[in-house]
Amino acid sequence: MTTTLSILLIIAAMYMVLGNVFSILFLWKGLDKVDPGTKDSGIIFKLLLYPGMTIFWPFFLTKWKFDS
Amino acid sequence: MTREKRAQKVSFQYLDPSLPPNHPCHHYISVMSVDYKSVLWNKQKKYYDIILWGLIFLWFISVFIFQYVMHEDMTIETMIIRTTAVTAFFLLHLILMIGPLSRLNKHFMPLLYNRRHLGVSMFLIAAVHGIFSIIQFHTLGDTNALLSLFISNKNYLTISDFPFQTLGFFALIILFVMAATSHDFWLKNLTPEIWKALHMGVYVAYGLIVLHVLLGALQYESHPVYFVALVLGFVAIAGSHLWAGLLENRKLRNIESPSADGYYKVAEVKDLEESCGTSIFVNGENIAVFKNDGKVSAVSNICKHQMGPLGEGKVIDGCITCPWHGYQYIPENGQSPPPFQEKLATYDVKVIGEEIWVHPRPRPEGTFVEPAIISNGKE
Repeated sequence: MTTTLSILLIIAAMYMVLGNVFSILFLWKGLDKVDPGTKDSGIIFKLLLYPGMTIFWPFFLTKWKFDS
Repeated sequence: MTREKRAQKVSFQYLDPSLPPNHPCHHYISVMSVDYKSVLWNKQKKYYDIILWGLIFLWFISVFIFQYVMHEDMTIETMIIRTTAVTAFFLLHLILMIGPLSRLNKHFMPLLYNRRHLGVSMFLIAAVHGIFSIIQFHTLGDTNALLSLFISNKNYLTISDFPFQTLGFFALIILFVMAATSHDFWLKNLTPEIWKALHMGVYVAYGLIVLHVLLGALQYESHPVYFVALVLGFVAIAGSHLWAGLLENRKLRNIESPSADGYYKVAEVKDLEESCGTSIFVNGENIAVFKNDGKVSAVSNICKHQMGPLGEGKVIDGCITCPWHGYQYIPENGQSPPPFQEKLATYDVKVIGEEIWVHPRPRPEGTFVEPAIISNGKE
């Protein structure tokens, strides 16, 4: 049980680390390409999106890639 | 007219002094814009947040003092853990009850429109509870704190010694996802259907927290006040949902069988306030009916922007205005005023005497339908 949980926690941690890296890049460069309504949005708005982006980053990675 | 200009008009109407203080149409909190705002703060929302956090602070202090009186030997960390737990759980009850209460009484509508601020506040307090608990109980050993949360107590098959912390952890994860996706950006990008399904997770979180309390604090706490509060909270939530559901069912039953030409009697003219609407379900159709300037019109109840409930809206500048973000539609044809392109389905409507009758067959979106004239009790 301990080993299984350790592996799951490591996977979750890796997912979150990748999510954090992606979120910084995406909110900096890709946000307005995926949603034009966010053009010229401020830093506070992007900070508000940051936590959710670390969860749903695969979805936005796909959209960003597709829209590009 | 630009969206921004119309948004200013909506804000002006919200403060319209010509309406009596308790008029339901004062309940508008609309700022229409095609762009996102970081936080939708207008004057009313600022007052709301100030009052909200003032009340939360008073509640927090009251619970803190109560804990101190009940357990003088309790450490400050434990008091913070318990007080944040009680505060967040209490706020969760309010959040879950706002929906049915606003269906029972329109005066609760302002709370419904501001519910996301309450939800994020509740999550932040719950997060303090979770972080303090993990620091106090799981960081002193040489095992990873999160791993320790799951393996420090492995009695998963017992009731009296169940590792209840894990239930709270999963509830907190759900609340985090909900708080993190509370902004309109997520509603639009995840699609309203997925967003709504995601946010229905609040009921799963509530269930997990009830178990977290039952298998945790109540196993150690002998004073009956905690158990009574838990049961009363459940009864209040379940009762308000059932009550609202029963009243809506009764309302649906009151809609009589269709007339020979397929129309349903949906309301009395006097039931609708001037320039206001109501929502009805007829034959599987979600319809908003509006009375304005001596005429009655019916359109789809679902706003094209983010599925806002148009029937809870108001007619402003001759346009149906969504209570969520101020999107507007012309009552007769369901079209947004040019240059905007949004279109709603429209429905045939007629007024016979004092009765409003609607045909539940939707006309194609944007179709002009002659409004029914209210004229001295005659059609």
